[in-house]
Amino acid sequence: MSNAIDQTRRMLSLVTYLRERPGAEVAEVARAFGISERELIGDLNVLPMCGTSFRGGDLLDIDTDGERIWWHNVDDVAQPLRLASDEATALLVAARAVAGLPGLRAGDREALTRAVAKIENAAGESAEGSARVGVTFEAESHVFADIDRALSEGRRLWLRYYSHGRGGMTEREVDPIRLLTEGHTYLEAWCRTSEDHRMFRLDRVAEIRVLDVPADPPRREPRDLSGGLVNPAADDPEVVVEVSSGGRWVAEYYTHDRAEELPDGGLRITLRSADPSQLRPLALRLGRDGRIVSPPELAEQARSAAREALAAYGEGQV
Amino acid sequence: MAIAKAERLMNLALCLMNTRRPLSKKELRESIEAYREAWQGASEDAFNRMFERDKDDLRELGLVIDVDESALDGELGYLARADRNRLPEIALDAEEAAALTLAARVWQQAKMSGAASGALQKLRAAGVPFAETEGRTALEPRIPAREAAFEPLLTAARDRRPVTFEYRKAGAAAVEQRSVEPWALECWRGHWYLAGYDRDRGDARVFRLSRITGKVRAKNGAFLGTVPEHVDVRATVAKFAGEGATATATVRVRRGAGFPLRTKALNTTRVDEVWDELEIPYGNGLGADLAEFGPDVLVLGPEELRADVVDRLRAVAGLDVEGVRA
Repeated sequence: MSNAIDQTRRMLSLVTYLRERPGAEVAEVARAFGISERELIGDLNVLPMCGTSFRGGDLLDIDTDGERIWWHNVDDVAQPLRLASDEATALLVAARAVAGLPGLRAGDREALTRAVAKIENAAGESAEGSARVGVTFEAESHVFADIDRALSEGRRLWLRYYSHGRGGMTEREVDPIRLLTEGHTYLEAWCRTSEDHRMFRLDRVAEIRVLDVPADPPRREPRDLSGGLVNPAADDPEVVVEVSSGGRWVAEYYTHDRAEELPDGGLRITLRSADPSQLRPLALRLGRDGRIVSPPELAEQARSAAREALAAYGEGQV
Repeated sequence: MAIAKAERLMNLALCLMNTRRPLSKKELRESIEAYREAWQGASEDAFNRMFERDKDDLRELGLVIDVDESALDGELGYLARADRNRLPEIALDAEEAAALTLAARVWQQAKMSGAASGALQKLRAAGVPFAETEGRTALEPRIPAREAAFEPLLTAARDRRPVTFEYRKAGAAAVEQRSVEPWALECWRGHWYLAGYDRDRGDARVFRLSRITGKVRAKNGAFLGTVPEHVDVRATVAKFAGEGATATATVRVRRGAGFPLRTKALNTTRVDEVWDELEIPYGNGLGADLAEFGPDVLVLGPEELRADVVDRLRAVAGLDVEGVRA
């Protein structure tokens, strides 16, 4: 289901597109417009009710047999329309951000840069607003080339990877699936070591090798990432953290189920983690700004790690 | 059954684009069935409100609607002139079209994603070639905008409308009402920031969108200050996040541990079987970063950093008389 604004926007372009293509194929038009055939048929059901006068009979005589689309009274109303400010902004901001993405192939970067200049030119004053919005992706490019090669050749990778939760390096073999960038860039892969889908942050890859073995990730529907790239599973254990106002950032950085307001501006945050002991760095970072309420094992791990660290400073005793 | 809004908007657009002379509201009402129904079935007022909203919606979609005050004997006349609404010639080759198609997919926010698809559809309608993008790249950049404040701030910055919102500063216990002239939005490390002129403080400020609580309200009236030519939100935020530091700190890191510290170290020397000594940039927030490593890191200096880390560790170890300030 699309909303009325998007549908109107689309139908205005659709009449221009159909005008140049008598007998256009439904499947092809749907592809060109990035919509399903059902959505397109929905639009084609509305268009015959549209025109310059419902009583004068000046309606668009557009019909389809489900395969092809015919427009019987083509007129010159359907000229290509200028880009709206929001359209130019959305397209230009995205294109500029992607053009600046480390790891993009050189040919794609050049094509995008040329396209940006042409769109700016065609959009005229509608393009002005795009200067007010900027997006920067992180430059984490040292391993891009190898991952790109493994993906295009369908080969397995060996990684020496820093596990932040454990604080140490791990070595694993993974079958790469795709690269995702949202702030940081992540490799989504099937980890053969843990036999699970994992997201590997590229800035935590210390060493990489493309192996002479074909990748064989299990076929699965792409995961729903609408809530963010790093999402716990529904049955992962719960972790409860209480923070003061100085620790409210936890709710901004960690995907959580609940954040209840506490008196004095603090929060009680409930989140989930496949392995709560991996949250030890968070527990240590909180300092005075919060504490782990549960599980108690995590609180104890943080406490003993802090005591061990203090011993090295000669601060072991109260 | 009421006529669907998309059909009504489409009819209004076709009427306005297809006329050579301005059309009065009455003429439009006679030509568009949905308006006639609203006028007959509800009231003059209901029709007027519907008509005003529809015009605004079409303008959001890029249609330039001229209002002629004199043509129709005292009545306002409306038309969308062809020369003011036509997309200029644009020639994109297949490579450029494919690259744009991929880029347009990065928005994870409904309104921006709809606008980007709409732009592509207009370009396709204008003859830009359609390119298959299947398998072109395995790289999927995504621009999230989950913050509710994103959309109203974007519109307010575009229209240069001042806004008010409740804001909780980092670490603050209470929210404060802020009155801001929004200049620019910037996404950095997956989070959105707003730069603007803070009316109460009489100076430029940067706000993080996730700390805006409640609704963003657009106010009447124009900006009081001038919008700077170039707004560098990123530099301000990066500095706060500890980037661009000029001071350095010396820390010991257990061998095999602390990989993120090693990648940014300016200097690494081996001390013994257990420890390496690293010189690292000392910017905002380093104490908290170092505390995360627990017993794998030992701060040697400067003294204030060492004291900060010890203080944090004491709190976690439960050795603090004050206890947690929660």
